[in-house]
Amino acid sequence: MKRYLETGNFAVTEGAILAGCRFFAGYPITPATELAEAMAYRMPQVDGIYIQGEDECAALHLCIGAALGGYKVMTATSGPGYILYADPYGWAIGCEIPLVILNSGRVGPVSGITGAPGQGEFYMTRYPTQGGNFETIVLAPNSAQEAMAMTVEAFYLAERFRTPVTILADQLVTDGFEDISVPETEEEMKAMGFRTWPRGIHRGPVFYPATDEIDIPPVVLGHNTGALCSDWTPTEEGYDTEEVVAHHKHAYRLIFKVRNHRDLFSHLYEKTFMDDDPDLVVVSFGTPSRVVNTAVKKAREKGLKVGALRLIHLWPFPDELFKKKTTYLSVELNWDGQLVREVRRAVPKDAEVHFVGSCGDLPAVAELLEAFGKLLKGQPLARKGWELEEW
Amino acid sequence: MDHLSKKYLRPRKIPSSACSGCGLGINHKALMQAIYELGLEVEDIVWGTSIGCAGRQTFGTWKGDGFAGTHGRVYAIARGLRLALPPEKKIILTVGDGDAFGIGLLHLIHAARSNADLTIVVNDNLGYMSTGGQYGWTTPQGTKSDSSPYGMYEHNMVSDGMDILGVLKHAGATFLARHVSMDGPRAVESIKKGIANRGLSLIHIVYPCPTNVGSRELGTRDAVTIYNWIKNQAAPIGQERSDTLWATGVYHDASNSRPEFSESIRQHIGSIRRQRLHENKI
Repeated sequence: MKRYLETGNFAVTEGAILAGCRFFAGYPITPATELAEAMAYRMPQVDGIYIQGEDECAALHLCIGAALGGYKVMTATSGPGYILYADPYGWAIGCEIPLVILNSGRVGPVSGITGAPGQGEFYMTRYPTQGGNFETIVLAPNSAQEAMAMTVEAFYLAERFRTPVTILADQLVTDGFEDISVPETEEEMKAMGFRTWPRGIHRGPVFYPATDEIDIPPVVLGHNTGALCSDWTPTEEGYDTEEVVAHHKHAYRLIFKVRNHRDLFSHLYEKTFMDDDPDLVVVSFGTPSRVVNTAVKKAREKGLKVGALRLIHLWPFPDELFKKKTTYLSVELNWDGQLVREVRRAVPKDAEVHFVGSCGDLPAVAELLEAFGKLLKGQPLARKGWELEEW
Repeated sequence: MDHLSKKYLRPRKIPSSACSGCGLGINHKALMQAIYELGLEVEDIVWGTSIGCAGRQTFGTWKGDGFAGTHGRVYAIARGLRLALPPEKKIILTVGDGDAFGIGLLHLIHAARSNADLTIVVNDNLGYMSTGGQYGWTTPQGTKSDSSPYGMYEHNMVSDGMDILGVLKHAGATFLARHVSMDGPRAVESIKKGIANRGLSLIHIVYPCPTNVGSRELGTRDAVTIYNWIKNQAAPIGQERSDTLWATGVYHDASNSRPEFSESIRQHIGSIRRQRLHENKI
């Protein structure tokens, strides 16, 4: 084990290398540039390839090409680059190509504020491409150390499910300097709970079985197996077809291979003061959860019965964590409220759900405590114009 | 099926679902003939295609491994694949004019810049024909299509003094040729040179589309009419007439003149690792 005072970008790089990633295609974008730089430095050292795409769309396509040749691959970006992934992301989902994407959230829309944290792509990571008929897997770490762990986990899930996995971080997770422990042996990796899965080669002829089976090796070209993959709806052998029944089978596979094996990642959440059925459950993911945890701890010291639920696997959404009838508060780094909508959908019918947003900056502990107090007294969190009238 | 189809193509996909009179099959056959004359086998080649008539009709026809990329991005995918495959594996792409010269031009230019070892055959039916016939970037000026009912009036890649092959030459492509479907053995020879070049090769082959170009521009779906229309406007380089649209033959041959993309990267990584070994860091 080696300890570093380093950034989340460094941690993700080391995590990717531990997971067996040997190909990274990047494109400079704040705040994920340092990850590309770290990869450019580290990849050749481990006999891996770093390459820069002409844009993010090309970067992810380069990754797909290398994955089709047998590499474990990764790319990283922020919101304005993530939208350019829409094209290749769908292709990778449809052709069931394992790969890992890191999205370091900044303030949007468009270029917005480049060097400040945001969480505007909660829903976009669920629907990163057009067409529907698929499930996506998304993980959201809240620290540099966890970003490394979730990178290793993302590669593991990508291989087993044969699909792209997005790590939805934010600027503070990737840019922030923290204490990081990097395992150096397989035993240390195991002790830290890191799971890995080897890259396999599919030898056909049925590449897209109409089942929810996982652990099928992905298509790898160049071994003369007659492998076929395309952007069209495939037959089970990979031929393009316009048949709706073939499409139904393919869609079933893309949706239910993930939905039916959620046990593989359903343990990825964190509960704080949640054992005594709290009157208020504060829901968050990523960096805001660290403020929430502090605020909840302080609230408990004041005698308020508040608990915190942090989501690490965001998609498929963990509905099972929202069965209790209580009051929920979603704390997010956006002003429009994205996670809160999903919480509203998942909770029992008459449960109350509230929202506190901020963007570019974290909420203050004092602000959250004020909000907790109001909600527990049944008072509204009012708002007038762009300014908060009161919390 | 002839001996080339039996040797290289999948019976399930041949004949293709192309329209009656389509010239794509002639281009496809010229390519098969070139592969055959070079003595290449099914396992020597990974095949990539794009979207549109040229992409869809050739996807899955090759007996070996194959893929069809997203529209215009197949050059980026192929570059990634080039880095992963051993150098002796050939990557051949059959794409359309809209894919290569429209939506994919950025990626194509960067493939040329990096001199990735790819052989790209651009099958040019003079516009977007699988969507019913809209003008593209090589549609001759004045030509009528469903999106240019009064004749195509924009400047494009075949306007006077402009040539997409010139763009690609200066972007760094090491082999460039242009033909029309009717060129037969001359096209085969160019394709052979293209495949033999260890770098980016592009062969642009104009082919007739009786269904859309024929019906809208020439007023008939008669195949012979559009075959003659293309043939009469093509001439070998050096023998152009005033009405020649397509000067055919090898446009630029700098085969094997500069390092290939994947080879340079491999060498670069190798030298970094040797240096680190020297410094006892590995």
